[in-house]
Amino acid sequence: MEVFKMAWRNLWRSRRRSLTTIVAMTFALLVMLLLSGLIEGMLRTLEQDIVELEVGDIQIFADDYRKKPSIHTRILDPESVLVPLDAAGFSASARLLAFGLAASDESSAGASFRGVDVERDARVSRVHREVGEGSWLDENDPKGVVIGKGLARSLSVGLSDEILVLSQAADDTMAYELYRVRGILHSVGGAVDRSGIFMTQPSFRELMVLPEGAHQIIVRRPQGADLLVAHEQVASLASPLEVKTWKMIFPTLSSYLASARSMMSILYLIIYSAVGILLLNSMLMAVFERIQEFGVLKAIGVGPFGVMGLVLMETAIQTGISVACATLLSLPILFFLSTTGINIAALASVEIMGASFNPIWRALFTPGIFVVPILLLVVIVVLAVLYPALKAAWIQPVAAMEHH
Amino acid sequence: MHARNPTPCVETLNITKIYSQGSHEVRALDDLSLSIHPGEFTAICGPSGSGKTTLLNLMGALDKPTSGRVLIDGQELGELGRRELSRIRRDRIGFVFQAYNLIPVLTAFENAEMVLRLQGTDPHKRREQVLQILSDVGLEGLGDRRPDQLSGGQQQRVAIARAIASNPAVVLADEPTANVDSENADRLLEIMEKLNRDRGETFIFSTHDPRVLERARRIIRIVDGRVDDDRTVS
Repeated sequence: MEVFKMAWRNLWRSRRRSLTTIVAMTFALLVMLLLSGLIEGMLRTLEQDIVELEVGDIQIFADDYRKKPSIHTRILDPESVLVPLDAAGFSASARLLAFGLAASDESSAGASFRGVDVERDARVSRVHREVGEGSWLDENDPKGVVIGKGLARSLSVGLSDEILVLSQAADDTMAYELYRVRGILHSVGGAVDRSGIFMTQPSFRELMVLPEGAHQIIVRRPQGADLLVAHEQVASLASPLEVKTWKMIFPTLSSYLASARSMMSILYLIIYSAVGILLLNSMLMAVFERIQEFGVLKAIGVGPFGVMGLVLMETAIQTGISVACATLLSLPILFFLSTTGINIAALASVEIMGASFNPIWRALFTPGIFVVPILLLVVIVVLAVLYPALKAAWIQPVAAMEHH
Repeated sequence: MHARNPTPCVETLNITKIYSQGSHEVRALDDLSLSIHPGEFTAICGPSGSGKTTLLNLMGALDKPTSGRVLIDGQELGELGRRELSRIRRDRIGFVFQAYNLIPVLTAFENAEMVLRLQGTDPHKRREQVLQILSDVGLEGLGDRRPDQLSGGQQQRVAIARAIASNPAVVLADEPTANVDSENADRLLEIMEKLNRDRGETFIFSTHDPRVLERARRIIRIVDGRVDDDRTVS
C-alpha cells in the first residue's frame, strides 16, 4: 500500500491533535535551534575574544615568572624559541611586562606596561584593531603609547595628552619618562582597561633598561590544530620554559565554558522530554483509537512491519513538517542574530572572570548548529513512537477487531 | 455450479478452541472437523455463542486453535509464523465482516485495490481488475467515494470487492447481511451468488439470516462448538 498516502490522510483525521503535535515539535525545535545558535555563538565569541585579544592560545614564560612576576625573570633568548615556532607554522610574539605608576597633570594610577613587537604582535593579537580613539603603536613614534579606556578616564587624559610613567628599572634605578597618548583602546578586559599601557619594545627596553630577553611569548596555533597537540608541540620546542594553554591560565573560565555546554545538554533533555511525552501521548491515542482498523489491516494481509511502518510514517511526516517549519522560521531569526546580534552592554557586564568579551551577542549561524538539535529531536521521536508502533504491529487481529 | 474438487480448500481437523474467562474456561469449539471444497456456497448457522465466528476466525488464520489442525489449500496454518500467516490471509483468504471494516481514509477503489497492491500486482492490470470487480458488485462510478460517503449496502459491496479482488481460495463472510436492510441484503446475496456461479468463488457464511440459509447450497449447523447437522441443499 502507499504508506505515505495512508499515513498522510490518517494524520488529518484528527486535525487538531496532529496540528498540536506539529506545533509543539516546531516550537521546541525552534527554541533549541535559537538557543543552540546563541549559546554556541556566545561561547565561541568568548573563547575567540580571550584568545585573540590578549592571551593567545598558548603562552611561554620563564620558569617561576607566573608564580612571582619580576622584571628580572626573563626568557633570556626569545629568538631561540620564536624561530623554531615560526618554522613549525605557529605565530608567536614576545612581550615585555612590568608594573609601575602612570600620572597625568590631574591624577595618577597603577599601570602595567606591555612592550610589544608591533609587527609580530599583530599576528597573535587583535588588540591593534581595538583602538577606539587615535591609532595603534608605531615603531617610528617611540614616545607614543596606547592606553586602556579605564586608565584614560582615571588619568583624565585624551589623545595627544602627556603621561608620566614611573617604575623600577631592571638595573634597580628609577625608570621614568614622559609619553604621549597616541591611542585609547576599546574595552578589551578589566586589567587592560584599568591599567594597560602598550608601548613599542625599543621604548620599553630604553625605559626599563632591559637590553635583551622577554617575559612572555604569546603563541597562536595554526588554524584547525588541536590545542592540546599544539601545546605538546610548543612545549617540546620551548623546553625547558614553562608553556601553558589559555585553559591552564584561566581554568575557571575554561570550566565555565564547558559547564555552559553541559547546561545546553540539560536544556535539550528537559525540552525534548516534554516533546517526547507529548508525542507518545498523541501517538498512543492515535493507535488506540484505530485498534480495530489495525486489526482489519492485519486480517487482510498487512504484516506487522507494514502496520509498524504506517505508524512510523505518520510520525515521520509530523516530524518532517516540524523540522521544515522550525528550520525555515529559524533562518531569518538566526541570520539577524548572527549579523546584527543583541547588544547586552546595557543588560549585563561584558566581563567574565576578568576576561572581557564583545558586548554584541551574536549567534553562530552554521549548518552545524542545526545538526544536533534536529538529530536529537529525531532520536526522541523514534524513542517516543516505538511503543505505540510496536503495539500496533504485534496486535492480534481478532482481539483488535473485537476492541471497542 | 462447479464440479466438486476432491482437494478441500479449507479443512479443520479435530479443532478445539478454549477461551479463558477469568477463573473458568469456555469451550467455543469442541473437536470439530469439516472440509470445504472449492466452489462451495456454504452457510454455518447456529445459536448465538455456538462458535460460528470462532470457527471462521480459525479458518481465516486470524486465531489459533487450542488443539487440532486447520489447513488452507492443504497448507497447515499451525506450522506458519506471523509473516507467513499474513501472506496466507493476503493471498488465499478474503474477509467480509458484519461491520464492513473498510479503511476509512481510502476510497472504494483504493479499499478494493489494497490487497492487490500488497501483492505487488502491476498497476495497469490492478486498475483493470478493480474496475471490473467494482462493476461486478454494482459500484461503477462510485470508486472515488470514501466509506463515509457510501450507504451500508454499498460499503458491504466494497468489502466484497476487496475480499474477492485477489481471487482467494475462500471468502469468509461473518454475518454479512446483519447490518443492512432486506433489500440490500438480497442485493448482496445476489452478488455473492453470482460471483460463486460465474467466477467459482468459494463462500463460507456465518449467519442467522434465513435469506442466506435459503440461498446456501450447504448448511452446517453448529451447537455448543460441535457440528450438529451438515446437509447439502439441492
